[in-house]
Amino acid sequence: MDIYRPLRFVVGVAMGLSVAVGAAADPSMRPEEILQKLIEETGSPYLTQSEQNLMMMADNPAYWTAEDGEALFYEKRGPKNASLESCDFGKGPGVLDGAYVEMPRYFADTNRVMDLESRLVYCMTTIQGFDAKDDAVKKRHGSSSDMMKLQTFIASKSNGYEWNNPLEHPMEIALRDAGEVLFNRRAGPMDFSCSTCHSQTGKRIRASVLPNVNEPTEWTKAISWPAFRVGHDNVRSSQHRVRGCYWQMRQGLSQPGSDAAIAIMSFWTDAARGQPAILPDMKR
Amino acid sequence: MKKLTKKAYLAAAFASSVVLAAAADNHMELTGKAAEYAKMSPEELAEHLIFDENGVKLDEPVQEGGTVLQRQQQDELQQICSGGGRAALTGETTQRVIALSRESTVKPEGGIKLGDWKAGEEVARSGYGFRVGHRVDDHSKRDPGGNCYACHQMAPDEPTYGTLGPSLKNFGKVRGNTEATRNYLYDVIYSPHSYFPCTHMPRFGANGVLTEKQIADVMAYLLDPESPVNQ
Repeated sequence: MDIYRPLRFVVGVAMGLSVAVGAAADPSMRPEEILQKLIEETGSPYLTQSEQNLMMMADNPAYWTAEDGEALFYEKRGPKNASLESCDFGKGPGVLDGAYVEMPRYFADTNRVMDLESRLVYCMTTIQGFDAKDDAVKKRHGSSSDMMKLQTFIASKSNGYEWNNPLEHPMEIALRDAGEVLFNRRAGPMDFSCSTCHSQTGKRIRASVLPNVNEPTEWTKAISWPAFRVGHDNVRSSQHRVRGCYWQMRQGLSQPGSDAAIAIMSFWTDAARGQPAILPDMKR
Repeated sequence: MKKLTKKAYLAAAFASSVVLAAAADNHMELTGKAAEYAKMSPEELAEHLIFDENGVKLDEPVQEGGTVLQRQQQDELQQICSGGGRAALTGETTQRVIALSRESTVKPEGGIKLGDWKAGEEVARSGYGFRVGHRVDDHSKRDPGGNCYACHQMAPDEPTYGTLGPSLKNFGKVRGNTEATRNYLYDVIYSPHSYFPCTHMPRFGANGVLTEKQIADVMAYLLDPESPVNQ
């Protein structure tokens, strides 16, 4: 049960945000059903590019990662021997249903806009007493890392919910707008920006069809992380995607938890607003 | 699109002041970074986040010399072409981009010549080079490539080609290996903004991505009648 849905609806209408096409949010649908519905509605070449992935999604290895994450979440851990149940992801301590699709968001206790990863770091260091240098916090990548397990579990609790990061606090708005600038900012020896590859529909890099930031029905899949990347044989995070894109653009190493990375995620989440999250997803 | 979003914010600000009047004002007292960021334009904040807030690792050395710090700084052409790309160009900025591009284009000594199409094919296929961060390309072990196939169709028998750029299949056959074509092709590879202001395509010559020889080899791959591109 999601007691926030009526409220979100009212706020959504009040904000004058409407969505013309795309699947309506339905947390009871499975990730592959959400994707199938989007495909039926759009025929998008990005969404349809991997039939094998669509067939394998029911057995997505990310479910195991999420299951491990669930156990970790409720386990008393760290020097303070505490679970993460008192961690507030924006909808109250321990409330996970639909929390991830409303991130990044402003948190008064840190006076920062935080994405899921930086919020987890905050809770693991403050509530559980981990040191930032402990492996539990420091290791961010790979299905076997605590971070990926926890992120995959928490994000999966937003499957089928509409992306809806709040743009109410001035800092949320400032970072979303700076994120758009960063997304379009060309630099480096190749003159690339994110929009070089992500501002048109149906274009390819080699054989890979690229998602368009201007098409929310495509973009929801593009930002549906964590996802199991078949080619990597690992579950990957949003920050892993940002890092990989900066690497391909021949720009500098994106810093996890930096306001620049969170600004980009604020913009990219806003770009998928109103479309259902596919979590966990499976990607090439 | 940007204007529309701004309108949505105004609507949101208005709506929230009506609907959430009681709850809305408790965090309007901005402190710390929130107060700092609120004073900046989106453009200023974006620069601030990269250069002053540890957005990317700035002190890492890069292959062309210097560090990421210099690489993240934009030249004038990159600045103009970041604000919405070609769609946002005015008459004035179009002329400026073309002028900057032409000024930066250096023709090879002894004129434009075609190199070896086989070497050019390697350059066209290779995406190696200039990557830094979690995996660093070592230019002493392998030359950087041009990665043309990432965006262009070239030889008709290569099925995995990108479509961000136009197809170059049969380029030489269609255009002819004339002096005019060679001049044009050289300029487009060196700095394509002379003809296509704010194109997505990199400036392979002006930015020092490819050497003079590599450019001659890629030109041969496109223009040589023997090249697979023209079969």
